Amino acid sequence: MSERPILEVTGLKKYFDVPQGRLHAVDDVTFSIREGETLGMVGESGCGKSTTGRLLVRLHEATGGTVLFDGQDVTRADKHQTHALRARMQMIFQDPYSSINPRHTVATIIGEPLEIFGRVHGAEELEDRVRTLMETVGLADRLYDAYPHELDGGRRQRIGLARALALEPSFIVCDEPVSALDVSIQAQILNLLQDLQEQFGLTYLFITHDLSVVKHISDEIAIMYLGQIVEKGPTRELFQRPLHPYGQALLSAIPIPKVGARRERIILRSEVSSPVNPKPGCRFAPRCIHAREECLGEVPLREVSPGRFVACRRAEEL
Amino acid sequence: MDEILKISGLTVHYHSDGQVVHAINDLSLSLRKGEVLGLVGETGAGKTTLALSSLNMIQAPQGRVVAGTIEFEGRDVRALSRSDIQKIRGKDIAMIFQDPMTALNPLISVGEQIAETVRRHEKCTQNKAWARADEMLEMVGIPADRADEYPHQFSGGMKQRVVIAIALACNPKLLLADEPTTALDVTIQAQVLDMMSSLIRKSDTSVLFITHDLGIVAENCNKVATMYAGEIVEFGTVEQVFGAPRHPYTIGLFNSLPDFDVVSSRLKPIPGLMPDPTCLPEGCYFSPRCPDATDLCRSAHPVDLIEDGHLVKCHHPGSAKEVVA
Repeated sequence: MSERPILEVTGLKKYFDVPQGRLHAVDDVTFSIREGETLGMVGESGCGKSTTGRLLVRLHEATGGTVLFDGQDVTRADKHQTHALRARMQMIFQDPYSSINPRHTVATIIGEPLEIFGRVHGAEELEDRVRTLMETVGLADRLYDAYPHELDGGRRQRIGLARALALEPSFIVCDEPVSALDVSIQAQILNLLQDLQEQFGLTYLFITHDLSVVKHISDEIAIMYLGQIVEKGPTRELFQRPLHPYGQALLSAIPIPKVGARRERIILRSEVSSPVNPKPGCRFAPRCIHAREECLGEVPLREVSPGRFVACRRAEEL
Repeated sequence: MDEILKISGLTVHYHSDGQVVHAINDLSLSLRKGEVLGLVGETGAGKTTLALSSLNMIQAPQGRVVAGTIEFEGRDVRALSRSDIQKIRGKDIAMIFQDPMTALNPLISVGEQIAETVRRHEKCTQNKAWARADEMLEMVGIPADRADEYPHQFSGGMKQRVVIAIALACNPKLLLADEPTTALDVTIQAQVLDMMSSLIRKSDTSVLFITHDLGIVAENCNKVATMYAGEIVEFGTVEQVFGAPRHPYTIGLFNSLPDFDVVSSRLKPIPGLMPDPTCLPEGCYFSPRCPDATDLCRSAHPVDLIEDGHLVKCHHPGSAKEVVA
């Protein structure tokens, strides 16, 4: 694996203006991903993980901050540069039902990016490439002329994957790609994602709320809470010893499918507070059993040991 | 017998586009008083249909119970008159639905939705029903002064608490919980499960807990049944089934999950897909996907083998055991 980060995100912000004020969807997020690796981004509904993913491929315009992809700032790229970048940064979406056009055949859907980017010359080459892509993602050749409604969720997700791979990207944002699938099908897709990563040297941002899945597939993990990264580190270390009180509660909440495996569970009180006009200080403090006065001040993400980042003032003493 | 729910030879079909969907196929299952039975299986296995059958809620004309009996406390629910079954629904047998966003009426305050159930079944005054509603809200962790609020004013986790409050308001003997926490975030799921299990323990309610999450079963149930293509393919105590699963499908489900404790680079998915319920395969329904299938499996339907109360519907459960090792 190369040590070079292919993606460097610094101070990324996305605010939405809503009637109640300003919604801080993503608030000063900084991270990087090394080439050929997978960063797992976890957190609960509304924590800003999907918005972050969309900002990286510029499906949203950032309010502030930079996204350097291979040295080029995605957030400030002009129209032509963005077009060119899209060929190298792709996205697969959570819902395999709404993210592909129901009126197009499998072949049309997978072939569309190739046509838009003029990567093929003539119908024959297009058909060849589409059939190769279908084989790569494990779609039977007979489905070439099929429509999405004829296919189950797992196969639809394979279409989304083939479409994302068509332009031979180096980076893919995977936004909950297996959440809508049954476990046996989920395992098929996870294996496929890993095979493709190995085969093409892909870099992934893997967004999910499923902690078992993220543990399985990621090299590094970032935990988000209310628009901010509260903890980040190598997968194994982070799972062994989460440092942030939210990370600890989150990991303790996972039901383990083994008899007698149940661990001490940290039950959090109340629910996530509003991301609209958040108060300064630690955003987890209202639910945190360890919160003190000092938590009302600034709580930056800081490196506590090599590669281990945490945004908690009391991380060392806890 | 202390069986609260006894299903025997149940067969349910749905008719659609001139085809017959074989949703439940000659299924037998019983649930004893005080037991929490986890029903696991993937989309389309027939889990929800099984729960709806227990309330005699299979909708005609598409849905039809073709054969079998469903006895609740010794009474056949299908033989009950409309008014008798309505007395049971929501009172003796309550159901928690998967999606809290659609299970509540958006135009009625949450307090009234709980009070309505109480009034209907307990023949009590409006004041008493409301007092019970307040009590139930507090019990599920919602301040009673929010009883006048409407569903849209609550988050998903809070709405599911309201749904649970409605289900438990009349102290049901049997609770059918259909994926009650699937729509919730994991920390909220932990809150809700924690609350549910303490309420269930207090009231000694029997529960049919439908879920696709094996972790939830391990932590909340004492019995478990695996469903595949409308059949129970394995049944036993949680210790039996999780300790040494015998059906290749159950084993496949476990292998598909990333193991939380062990770092492995590859998962072992079950190949293929669930069979089309309008055209089930010959022999064992799982045989086309089974790594151990023989000619026997492809031609003859397996019968239930029971050892020590651990049921498995498989021709070669022995060979399955070796797969585990």
